[in-house]
Amino acid sequence: MKLSIGEKVFQAFNYILLIVLASTMIAPLLHLLAVSFSSPIAADTKEVFLIPVDFTLATWKHILQNEVLWRAFGVTVFITVVGTFLSMLFTVLTAFPLSRKEFMLRKPIMLIMVLTMIFNAPMIPFFLTVREVGLMDSIWSLIIPGLISTFNMVIVRTFFMNIPKDLDDAARIDGCNEFRLLFQIYLQLSKPVLATIGLFYAVGYWNTFKTAVLFLRNPDLWPLQMRLRAFFTSEEEMAAVDLIMGDFDFNTTTLKAATIIFATIPIVIVYPYLQKYFVKGAVLGSLKE
Amino acid sequence: MKKNYYVFMLAAFLMALLLISGCSSNEEASETPDESGETGNSEGSDEAAVVTVFKSHMGKGTKPDSSSEHLQYVKEKTGVEYELMTTPPGSDPAEYINLMIASEDFPDILRPIGGVEQTLINQGGALALDELLPKYAPNAWEKIPEEAWNIVRTASPDGKIYYIPKVYMIPERAALLRKDWLDAVGMEMPKTLEEYKEMLIAFRDQDPNGNGKQDELPTSGREFGRWMDHLFAMFGVAMWEGYPEWDIYNGEINYAGTSENMKAAIAFIRELYAEGLLDNETFLNKGDVWAAKVNNNLVGSWYHLPANLGEKITALREGNTEPYIVGLPLPEVEGFEGFITQKSMGEPEWIIPKASEENAINALKLLDFFYNPENEEFVTYGIEGMQHEVVDGEKVLLPSSDEKPLVLGMANFTTDETMKVRIENSFPEEEQQMITDIFEVSKADARRIAGDGMPSTVYEGYPDIQSHKLFQEYLTKIVIGEWPIEKFDEFVETWNQSGGEEVTKRVQEWYEKAK
Amino acid sequence: MEEQAKVLAQNKSRKQLLSNRLVKNIRKHWVLYLMILPGIIYYIVFKYIPLLGSVIAFQDYQIFNGIAGSPWVGLDNFIHLLNYEDFHEVLRNTALIALYQLIFQFPAPIILALLFNEVRILILKKTVQSLFYLPHFLSWVVVGGIVFELLANQGIVNAIREMFGYAPILFMQEEAYFRTIVVISGIWKEVGWGTIIYLAAITAINPSLYEAAVIDGANRFKQTIYITLPLLLPTITVLFLLNIGNFLELGFDQIFNLLTPMTYSVGDIIETYVYRAGVLQGQYSLTTAIGLFQSVIGFALLWIFNRLARKSEQGLW
Repeated sequence: MKLSIGEKVFQAFNYILLIVLASTMIAPLLHLLAVSFSSPIAADTKEVFLIPVDFTLATWKHILQNEVLWRAFGVTVFITVVGTFLSMLFTVLTAFPLSRKEFMLRKPIMLIMVLTMIFNAPMIPFFLTVREVGLMDSIWSLIIPGLISTFNMVIVRTFFMNIPKDLDDAARIDGCNEFRLLFQIYLQLSKPVLATIGLFYAVGYWNTFKTAVLFLRNPDLWPLQMRLRAFFTSEEEMAAVDLIMGDFDFNTTTLKAATIIFATIPIVIVYPYLQKYFVKGAVLGSLKE
Repeated sequence: MKKNYYVFMLAAFLMALLLISGCSSNEEASETPDESGETGNSEGSDEAAVVTVFKSHMGKGTKPDSSSEHLQYVKEKTGVEYELMTTPPGSDPAEYINLMIASEDFPDILRPIGGVEQTLINQGGALALDELLPKYAPNAWEKIPEEAWNIVRTASPDGKIYYIPKVYMIPERAALLRKDWLDAVGMEMPKTLEEYKEMLIAFRDQDPNGNGKQDELPTSGREFGRWMDHLFAMFGVAMWEGYPEWDIYNGEINYAGTSENMKAAIAFIRELYAEGLLDNETFLNKGDVWAAKVNNNLVGSWYHLPANLGEKITALREGNTEPYIVGLPLPEVEGFEGFITQKSMGEPEWIIPKASEENAINALKLLDFFYNPENEEFVTYGIEGMQHEVVDGEKVLLPSSDEKPLVLGMANFTTDETMKVRIENSFPEEEQQMITDIFEVSKADARRIAGDGMPSTVYEGYPDIQSHKLFQEYLTKIVIGEWPIEKFDEFVETWNQSGGEEVTKRVQEWYEKAK
Repeated sequence: MEEQAKVLAQNKSRKQLLSNRLVKNIRKHWVLYLMILPGIIYYIVFKYIPLLGSVIAFQDYQIFNGIAGSPWVGLDNFIHLLNYEDFHEVLRNTALIALYQLIFQFPAPIILALLFNEVRILILKKTVQSLFYLPHFLSWVVVGGIVFELLANQGIVNAIREMFGYAPILFMQEEAYFRTIVVISGIWKEVGWGTIIYLAAITAINPSLYEAAVIDGANRFKQTIYITLPLLLPTITVLFLLNIGNFLELGFDQIFNLLTPMTYSVGDIIETYVYRAGVLQGQYSLTTAIGLFQSVIGFALLWIFNRLARKSEQGLW
């Protein structure tokens, strides 16, 4: 394909723009990475920019040797994997009927569900409900109360609605019931959107924090993000607790930087694998006409 | 009823459904809610009683179980085993306690945060301790001065004692000054406001940090006007980390934020800002940025916790300066009597929920252990090998760590002696004198304010007065020169109209009782 | 009397008819009803039952005494809110920032997705995309810190100004820049993440459409305008509707971390007020009332725009 001069100029401009913007987006993380490998004093005097000053591994050693943290890591992996699977399953099951014209209660149910995006329950009643259901101090309290995100459900439903209906007829001739129609035909065609909401759910579960603080008393069940917060004690708070801080090669600043990196990296690594599905979706294509 | 929130709401929900749809009910019967796990302790009458203690901000460490030697020792002495409950990392302690109350999941004794004690007292959920304290916690009862108990009594509508207060006999904050900078510019310790300003000018112009650049910030503070109390203190403004307090102005207890003293102080600070003597980024300095400026040898005069200086000294040394930090005796200002605000007593430390009345005696016994003079040594140093080690026959405290069990402390009673121990344990020998001297200076200038121990209920219904929002807006805008100092009068008026007047009335009523 | 009875009977028969149809519908499509059943139960148990707790907006809710034991106060909390002396300022600030976000922040990911779509080098495309997602994972505390440092006296922005001979400006304490900073930082943090849905929608477009366009001699620009954009419209509409319902909810964390007392007059919003009243004072009833107020406005907007959307595209319901 030959490009016109105008298009070439645009291409060049586009590349430069995107690369410049992208570098502003990675800079803070590179900075945090550098801080996490620097000495606490260099970090606190803000000498570090993108290259570590007084290079040390002490911060990372302290974090990675922390057994409790790895346990929390396991918890988070569990809720991310199981939670994402369950969430996607029930999201799809809910979205599918709502996308069908022949489902009579489609509109009222849709309205009722969308309303929950706007009207939020106050915190205390929400807490009491989860408690009365018996999820207190259970790992399921991190998954079940947020099982279906209405936002994601609506996205999936919209996608379903745009799948051409002639496929249905073909399926019906084959004698498919709606379950098979959903799982064998619709889901196969919906890979891009499934990858999308899968990513949204996974990131949500990965970042689980607020619900854990509310519902988990048992430290063995604490997820990663909560453990990482333990490093975040401010100077004045520390002063109120104990003054005996000891002499370490790391401090709150370097630990904070390292924990942000630690919490972000895995999901960033997983992302390209999901990206594959976006491309696959394109190959399948032929949806919207 | 409220325990069964779920059943209650489910019933309400079904009713609502019935009303809307108007059809006869053939819904599935409501699920019976599972009973959530039992939270209460078994009576444990045979051996040691178990007391659940809730305390937030515990720092590093694991939850102590019965294998903790510290716990065992306390159990041996008191017959009470403590079960420590603490806020999970990253949680908001006040919210956490509120949820405990809402779900009736009470510990036996708790340290209230964010005005929770008032919620409990006013809603009938706190246990009156007037009779129990002398009987079961005689040491605490004796050690805490009568004055403090009186203030506690004024914090409840019925005049009873509902909580055990904290007591600070010394100010923990101080106006700090780089003595080595002072020497570098060849000046004496400033005695008056004019001399103080001259010193700041010298700091600005004479390169006291010796790097050849005019990058000195003679004095600095933080966002919201926090941690710059020294500049207010000279004018006799009662100020707590940047929040105006209540003290005697015009012969009565009044808000320091609207006083004439405050106006004079702001006018002075505005001058400093205009002349580059106050860090022009003061109101944008987040905690870490501010600390970096001090650590980078850029700030000459500031306000903070002397006991926290360790890290700053190390950082300054790393930058090849040998800092000498002293307390700044408040310079005299004509027409005003300066002082360092001290809040000593009345703030709640422990409260016992009414629901835990049965175990209250044990809770008080446990509490009393920490106030008993016989246990002072143990309370300070704990178990050898865990909390301290013995070096050359002297006990030295060990730093806390993520791996060791947390240790319960229940006495919040800071005196000269306890501070001395803390200094000895957290500073190398050569710095101890320096820190002690700072405290001496600060102590000489400190004064308890009239509003010490005032309950936060006086602010009820006026969040903007409580959060000092209006004050901060006027303070910052006047200081950076966006508004003239005359605007201060407008602030006083607006403040009064938007609830300040009502709050003042309440404070004055409280003070009548507390005097 | 007779007429009333007639109307009643008519109503009844209409209802009868409706429920008959419903029964038939359920019989015929029982699979669909079975599928949605877990979803319905979930929404009742974890959304609607806690939502009923919103009645505390009409109470003087006392946590210790619970909903059943707290006194009812009617509309007092709403009246208190309307009487709040800075209510107008707070509402105006909230609505203005929300409007700016809608105008600038909402379209940003669409434009970016289209720009991504023009990148021909696959590896570059993937890398750049991944980098754009990174800021989403930083909390506003961190991003707020970065913004303050960039705009400080020694920050990069003032360094550039100095190069051109201008005096430094402390942007964070100037009212005039506050909303711009909110919008730009918001775009910076979330734009990449926001493209994900649009990219998924773009990949679902049939390539044969572009092939046909190329044969017709359409250049890339025209393809974007006449094929990609129209086919993105349903997605854009849905996302717009999902956004508009939360119009007055700006996200507390962002504003709180960028706000200084010097910018209160333009940056104090409903959520920062809720923070002062609710979190600092524990006024759960008042904050619930404020939440209801926000929700009602959000719902009204959603309702209006949903009707508009139904005329051209499909609405949400």
